Amino acid sequence: MKQILSTKYLPFISIFSLIALIPLVISKDQYAMVLVTTVLLYAVLASAWNIIGGMAGQLDLGAGAYIGLGAFTTGTLLTRWNITPWIGMFIGGFVSVSFAILIGLPLFRFKIKELWYALTSSALVEVLRIVFLMWDEVGGPTEKYLPGGGDNALYSLRFSTYIPYFYIILIFLVIVIYLNHRIRNSKLGFSLLALGEDEDAAEVLGVDARGNKLKALMIYSFIVGTVGGLYACLYGFLHPSFFSTEISTEVVILGIVGGMGITYGPFLAAIFLVSFREYLRAALGGELAGLYLAVYAVVLIVVALFQPRGIAPLFRRLFEKVIRSLGGREHESSAKASS
Amino acid sequence: MLDMTVQSIITGLMMGVIYALITLGISIVFGVLNVVNFAHGDFVMFSMYLSYMIGTALVWDAVQTPLITIPVLFIFGFIVYYLIIDRTLRQMYVVQLAVTVGLQIFMRSMALIIWKAQPRALQYSIIQGNIQIGPYTILTSRLVAAIISLIFIAGIAWFLNKSWAGSAMRAASDDLDMASLVGVNYRRTYALTFAIGSALTAVAGGLLMSFQQTDPVGGIRFGFLSWCVLALAGLGSIPGLIISGMIVGVAETVTITFFDPRSRLLVIYGIFILVLWFKPRGLFGRK
Amino acid sequence: MNHPPKLQVNNLTVNFGNLMAVNNVSLEVYPGEIAGLIGPNGAGKTTTFNAITGLIIPSSGKVFFNGHDITGMLPHKICRLGMSRTFQVIKAFAHMTVEETVRVGAYNRCNEKNVYKKVDQIIKLCDLADLRDKLCSDLGLAILRRVELARALATEPEMLLLDETGAGLNQTELLSFMDLLRKINMEYSITLLVVEHVMQMVMGVCSRIVVLDSGEVIATGNPESISTNPKVIEAYLGKRVPQCY
Repeated sequence: MKQILSTKYLPFISIFSLIALIPLVISKDQYAMVLVTTVLLYAVLASAWNIIGGMAGQLDLGAGAYIGLGAFTTGTLLTRWNITPWIGMFIGGFVSVSFAILIGLPLFRFKIKELWYALTSSALVEVLRIVFLMWDEVGGPTEKYLPGGGDNALYSLRFSTYIPYFYIILIFLVIVIYLNHRIRNSKLGFSLLALGEDEDAAEVLGVDARGNKLKALMIYSFIVGTVGGLYACLYGFLHPSFFSTEISTEVVILGIVGGMGITYGPFLAAIFLVSFREYLRAALGGELAGLYLAVYAVVLIVVALFQPRGIAPLFRRLFEKVIRSLGGREHESSAKASS
Repeated sequence: MLDMTVQSIITGLMMGVIYALITLGISIVFGVLNVVNFAHGDFVMFSMYLSYMIGTALVWDAVQTPLITIPVLFIFGFIVYYLIIDRTLRQMYVVQLAVTVGLQIFMRSMALIIWKAQPRALQYSIIQGNIQIGPYTILTSRLVAAIISLIFIAGIAWFLNKSWAGSAMRAASDDLDMASLVGVNYRRTYALTFAIGSALTAVAGGLLMSFQQTDPVGGIRFGFLSWCVLALAGLGSIPGLIISGMIVGVAETVTITFFDPRSRLLVIYGIFILVLWFKPRGLFGRK
Repeated sequence: MNHPPKLQVNNLTVNFGNLMAVNNVSLEVYPGEIAGLIGPNGAGKTTTFNAITGLIIPSSGKVFFNGHDITGMLPHKICRLGMSRTFQVIKAFAHMTVEETVRVGAYNRCNEKNVYKKVDQIIKLCDLADLRDKLCSDLGLAILRRVELARALATEPEMLLLDETGAGLNQTELLSFMDLLRKINMEYSITLLVVEHVMQMVMGVCSRIVVLDSGEVIATGNPESISTNPKVIEAYLGKRVPQCY
């Protein structure tokens, strides 16, 4: 049994071990550390989106709302009551879940078109931004800086380098990708995939449309909310602009470009697109700050039109070709693990 | 107090008719193609910028600019249909939605690059002044905008009911298989529908520019306003659409008058969620 | 026929706006039989199916399954009670393999441990073993009809509603499909209600037939009495001559 387990997860474990070694090589280069950390952060968000978007086929545009809720919950708990973000971010996750349920309950009813959920989630981001802009005690138009750092770094989760954040987010990513893999091969995953394909057909086969979509939404919003808490600590302040439409759409783009319903797809897309975005930002500067989004949009449209299953299948084929030419026996196990 | 309420209701009713005009574009595209154009609000924003450019370059009045922007947006709609929408018709719903989200992001970030972040407005308007009825003031520019909107809505309603192209559109919306049997070329009908929906934003854009300014993220607001109107109205009833537009318009202006102007989106969101919760087919929907 | 009916539909009416798609339809299906529901195009057969299986809520009337009132119940709950269906317009899970598709249905009654056994059993029964790893989007109509039947069977129903399963099949495909239907009816004692246009299939497998026209029941009886019933002949000749009849 142990034998099977270790071969099945071998590619998984080795890839993440390799990633864990990255800071040893580049820890001196601040810019590179920021880049890899950002890539991992987006990979976590997009992999979480894969559960509601990729599998259940619901175009959720609310990532920014859950990030903001998580960030403000965690940050406020820390500044007001000195509650450590290690606990605060999970409370932030639960706050996000409760908002998610609020919009999920009416909109995931059988026979209500997916469109209305997409609209509601995207508007939620904008609405919460305005609420926190007007709510001076917690939000307000100026940045609210988080206390901590120095001796208190570990308690207040405010480190002076990116290295600790890198590892925390990497752990998140491992958990989220493993979760994706487990869901994909369970009753919940098959129910979600079926709902994403055809809701009527799934329902008559005994799949509870509302219940399963709600489960997926709760898992997704909990992860994103928790990451939101981390996000606040990473930046060291709170601002209503955390409720960001840009982040929400970026997460969707990564999820679709990577390959919907494919466990490692969003991670793959994050590696390429987020690096590309940071490169553009460095190369063009503030002058054309918005250009990366236009490029993202074009990539999204082109992939959606010509490769609707995303780029992951292309990489899988390439990977299999390489393995075959090496004549390795791993081919079988890797193909299974990736499906 | 009462005066202020009546005043804001009057303004809201006039704005509501323009919202109904914008929503009519989404409504016919959604009804006929069963495609959702997330970018519709950004079409309005784009039209407003076009009106601004034409208005400044030719020293035209905002209400004249649709003479040029209508054909431009009509052609733009055709191009977007054949380039993008047509290819998504047989794909999964998420992908279909996501493609128009992509279009939305593209338009918004291009607007940001071309016109930068600061708001733009046209300076002069030939329709100056206002009409006084007792204690109430009606801005002439808004009244004209509301009347022109009504004329266009009525025109589209007439077109849908009476012309051949209109019946083709209705046939395609009812039953695609039957429509192709009786010789309706669905692609051409779809493209025409999409182009008309797009051209309607040109009218609205010109009218809005006669008393408002435009900025690159304005599309979010118009998009959301019109989806709220559609959720209220449901599909298939044009009078319902106008009434719903007015409800949303009044809700908006009353909020601006009596509460924080920033909270107007919250009120609209509230209406939106309540309608979807209790009347998922809208107040006037037939389908 | 002394048993209480498996499925009982009382005065079912469905309106779409002003259009009356199904008008006051009553019918019964008894345990273990294969009943047929026929009628010309637009007679309201598919709408009747949708109302029975919970995909649409009827304007009035009642549906009882095993004596339970299931009117207006959500489809997945009706499926839990033991009724599933196939669709006239194929609703395949395009991006899933045949095996995965069947697994979706199998989870209705199975847990993670015994789901594989159920999937294997159903795939063997429906003769899909060679195609189990193929994506549904790569398969033809005849196979997809079989896959739809397979995934519905995997839910372990007591009763199945089959909507035009014979449409678009050639002679050999049709004959093997009819064999499969008889087999699941006899060996697994699943009650069947089939909507069908292909008369060969209706006459070949059904023991009792209900005829709908313009949303109303115009005749009920065994295949011989139906094929000679003047009202039925008029309904068909007036509109469209049935195929292969």
